[in-house]
Amino acid sequence: MEMEDKKERSFLSVVIWIIPLLLLSVFVLMILFTPDFQNGAYKVKSWFTGPMVSDEAIPGRVERLTIRSQRNINLIESKLEMLKPVKPYIVVNTTANRFSLRNIDGDTIRTGTCSTGKNEILIAGNKRIVFKTPTGLFAVQNKQEDRPWIKPDWAFIEDGLPIPSARSASRIEMGSLGDYAMGIGNGYMIHGTLYQRFLGLPVTHGCVRLGDKDLDVVYHTLSKGSKVFIY
Amino acid sequence: MKNKLTFWFITSVLIIIVGYSLTSIVILPVLTKNILPKASVRILEDKAKSDKKEKNNVVSESSDSSVSKSSKDEAMKLFELRRREVFLHSQLELANEDSMYLVLDLANNVAFLEMKGIQLHECHILKADISNSIKMYHTESLLNWMAEPFTVKHIDATIPKIVFIEKIAPKDTIEANKASAEPVATRLGDVFIVMDFDRNLRLVISQSEKPDDEGQKIISAMRAKYSQAEIKKSVQALIKLNREPAMPQISIVMPKTDATIFYKALPVKLKMIIKM
Repeated sequence: MEMEDKKERSFLSVVIWIIPLLLLSVFVLMILFTPDFQNGAYKVKSWFTGPMVSDEAIPGRVERLTIRSQRNINLIESKLEMLKPVKPYIVVNTTANRFSLRNIDGDTIRTGTCSTGKNEILIAGNKRIVFKTPTGLFAVQNKQEDRPWIKPDWAFIEDGLPIPSARSASRIEMGSLGDYAMGIGNGYMIHGTLYQRFLGLPVTHGCVRLGDKDLDVVYHTLSKGSKVFIY
Repeated sequence: MKNKLTFWFITSVLIIIVGYSLTSIVILPVLTKNILPKASVRILEDKAKSDKKEKNNVVSESSDSSVSKSSKDEAMKLFELRRREVFLHSQLELANEDSMYLVLDLANNVAFLEMKGIQLHECHILKADISNSIKMYHTESLLNWMAEPFTVKHIDATIPKIVFIEKIAPKDTIEANKASAEPVATRLGDVFIVMDFDRNLRLVISQSEKPDDEGQKIISAMRAKYSQAEIKKSVQALIKLNREPAMPQISIVMPKTDATIFYKALPVKLKMIIKM
């Protein structure tokens, strides 16, 4: 009899201790899922309230606000329209090494592969020369056919050659920029390439290289002042 | 006897804690009004005075949130117009700046990289998950929250923004010829991006493709880091008896290439606008 009583007591004490354990686990779970709990709470609230629109009545106010809002929208839309390019423009994606030539309505005229900066730092003594295509908004500043490449100092450093004087004839190289070149500022250009097989890869020193056919279309579509978006 | 006392003591303490947590986490958000942080609306500098006046009128009148009960449809129409107006206003503000920005069109499941109002890159969002704390507020408080572009406070990602390869200049042409190698396409790492914006918004971008083993490890570690931070924040808020404002989160899934393009192209001081 006593044994049975003892057994019952120990069973009860186990059951009793389950309660705080359960409470503790509920608490831990709540902490672990707090953001979800809060989200759940908002959901519960929306069951009661539904989509909330204030309902204090002031006659005629909705109509007046609607007219004002519509007028504001028209005004902003016209301002946004004014920001749009007035000439065809080009968009260059440096991550995918692709370009997209578009007309003033934003419709794509031509897309294709290109080559952009190789993201390399050339260390020459104290100098650190960065080969990267700049990103942002640029404009075509000049256009030239069969433009010779005036090799900058880094071209000689990279080839392990001594740097010639600024006016040395050895700086002039013909044909390496392709048939056409368009300057976009700070010495960066959109031009052709002798290395067509590298199109689609990041290999340049910062310029944007296009294939011959693409370059022909781009050159004859863009004019001086055309926008160049690089991202 | 002692055992019984201990039991009741522990049970009462736990009941208080659980009761408090329930009230704080579940009941209060249900009963009380939302606490979505408001945007401080700035008027564009280049706006004409008349425009300013008009805008101010609109903002002040609309913030009264007083609409006719009898015409819920009209009110909803007004809300849609106001939502569009707020979006366009933010878009114009960003288009006037010289930086790229992100546009999340959750209504059409598209993300854009824009500059000067021009869509530079477009990507289809394969899956979008929006917190209920955003979804339920179809009202002025949501408009106030979205009234200004969101500015990023912190970005964390599993891929680097840009990788530079350092190369020491060759001494002569022989060394230069030795060093020159055929270029290869860069390998794309697995992408998981967490962006914390002002007004408590968090944007999480994940790739749709299954990550490789190494990528999975990095992504899991990052997820764990953020969930631990969440738990810590929740515990601290509970201890300090402090109800945090709503922390809305938008999680989107897009192809790995697009996620990489977005991440690499976005400026450090990124601004974002949302359409929903």
